[in-house]
Amino acid sequence: MAILEVRNLKVSYTASGPQILKGLDFDVDGDDFCAVIGPSGAGKSTLIRCINRLVEPSEGDITLFGQSVRALGAGDLRRLRRRIGMIFQEFNLVNRMSVMDNVLSGRLGYTGPVRSFFKAFPREDIDRALHLLERVGLSDHVDKRADALSGGQRQRVGIARALMQKPEILLLDEPTSALDPKISRDVMGLIRELAAEFKVPVLCNIHDVQLALETCNRIIGMQDGYKKFDGPAQGMRKQDLDEIYAMEVL
Amino acid sequence: MTTVAAESLSTPSRTWSRYRHPESTIRFAVILAILAFLGWSVAFLNIDLSRVLGAFPRLAEILATRYFPPDVGYVTDADFVRSVIRTLEMSLLGGFLGVVCSIPLAWLAARNITISRRIAYPFGRLAIIGSRSIHETIWTILFVTVLGFGMLAGTLALTVFCIGFAGKLFSDELEAIDMGPVEALRSVGANPLQVFQYAVFPQVRVAFTGIAIYTWDVAFRAATVVGFFGGGGMGWYLKRTTQQLESTRVAAILLVIIGLVLLAEVGSGWLRKKIGRMR
Repeated sequence: MAILEVRNLKVSYTASGPQILKGLDFDVDGDDFCAVIGPSGAGKSTLIRCINRLVEPSEGDITLFGQSVRALGAGDLRRLRRRIGMIFQEFNLVNRMSVMDNVLSGRLGYTGPVRSFFKAFPREDIDRALHLLERVGLSDHVDKRADALSGGQRQRVGIARALMQKPEILLLDEPTSALDPKISRDVMGLIRELAAEFKVPVLCNIHDVQLALETCNRIIGMQDGYKKFDGPAQGMRKQDLDEIYAMEVL
Repeated sequence: MTTVAAESLSTPSRTWSRYRHPESTIRFAVILAILAFLGWSVAFLNIDLSRVLGAFPRLAEILATRYFPPDVGYVTDADFVRSVIRTLEMSLLGGFLGVVCSIPLAWLAARNITISRRIAYPFGRLAIIGSRSIHETIWTILFVTVLGFGMLAGTLALTVFCIGFAGKLFSDELEAIDMGPVEALRSVGANPLQVFQYAVFPQVRVAFTGIAIYTWDVAFRAATVVGFFGGGGMGWYLKRTTQQLESTRVAAILLVIIGLVLLAEVGSGWLRKKIGRMR
């Protein structure tokens, strides 16, 4: 049973502007660690952002956990977003807030207005945050400001924040492209480990093909708004890659 | 090797010039038009440049003969000192209320994070522009007509003035934030208030504090004049003494205003600098 079903997804940012996604179909299953690869401008980020409607699709259907994402009103959309963890290319942490507060902010969707106003998160949330920070190796940095950390450490905070939500799916938008190759591998390895531990399916958009083949079990190849490849990572051949990146000869 | 490079450099395939025909002509025409308008204004308004220059010596002479020495006794009188304190109170209260009201308005009026671009954004913009477009003295006159003479009218006038002043600066600051954290917290399912408190406010807190102090500084300057139009505070003494032609007293009051504004400016500058380092 697919957790996420995408049917004929089309997106253009303005009514008259160019179409970014030109009709995509794919499913994500409960045990998938699925990479979306493709050249710059293929629409990878747009695709990921459509799933939780940070970008509004113009046509097609997205069904997540059996709910039609496009039909949701503001309140229902917030309730759905609580169940979707997201990790970003630029980490998107609040730099002037402590690591702890950044991680706790992952629970905001579940926190009532009075509690969130006074930053009085429930005990079990704080314990969970401490546990996750330990899990990502940041126990010594709990009270530091987010901008006092290195890139790799910041992304670990981003991972902890996403896992705070107890997500049922993880969306990763180029989680490693702001990091150096060694740290990229560490971070992807950590995400893979944690996704397996918490049994969360992952949809990950990534442009490092080698890293994608190493960490993911399924690959979706995109080019210019179309899906060009969809299959297990092991089954990917050189000529499939050449086809996806055909336009990037420069 | 170098000679080859030099040869190939000597024959560029195209030419380049900073000023190209239509743009450069238009630019010079615009500058010429502005200068011509300024010259025509001087001629049309019949401004006699020799009289302008002669004004300064005459001003110095009047200051020296009529306004000197300042009547220090008048400004050290208990009643006047009390009015100075009232002016300070008005500026603090008006500044505080104005800043408190202008934060939500600035939120509505910041295009990137406003609650709705169709309704809330124009409403917030209109409220801020409305407060700004009318001068604080006019606000004082309006409130005095409605509420009668006194500090209430003056405080409300200063509040409205501060809404316009701080609201504009706040919303500009909000429009310059990094949208990444906002996107991140929207994606965890936080509601708009939580997004503002957790993703937006930490980014602007320091700047807001600096703006709030600056707003008070400007409000204090405005507060000295508000009394002139019946809004309470030391301005009333200024009005009375000017109308009674008590020039030495006017001089003393003006010196007090200059001194206090200077103090406020130095103090707020020092505070803002301190806060700026907390970034």
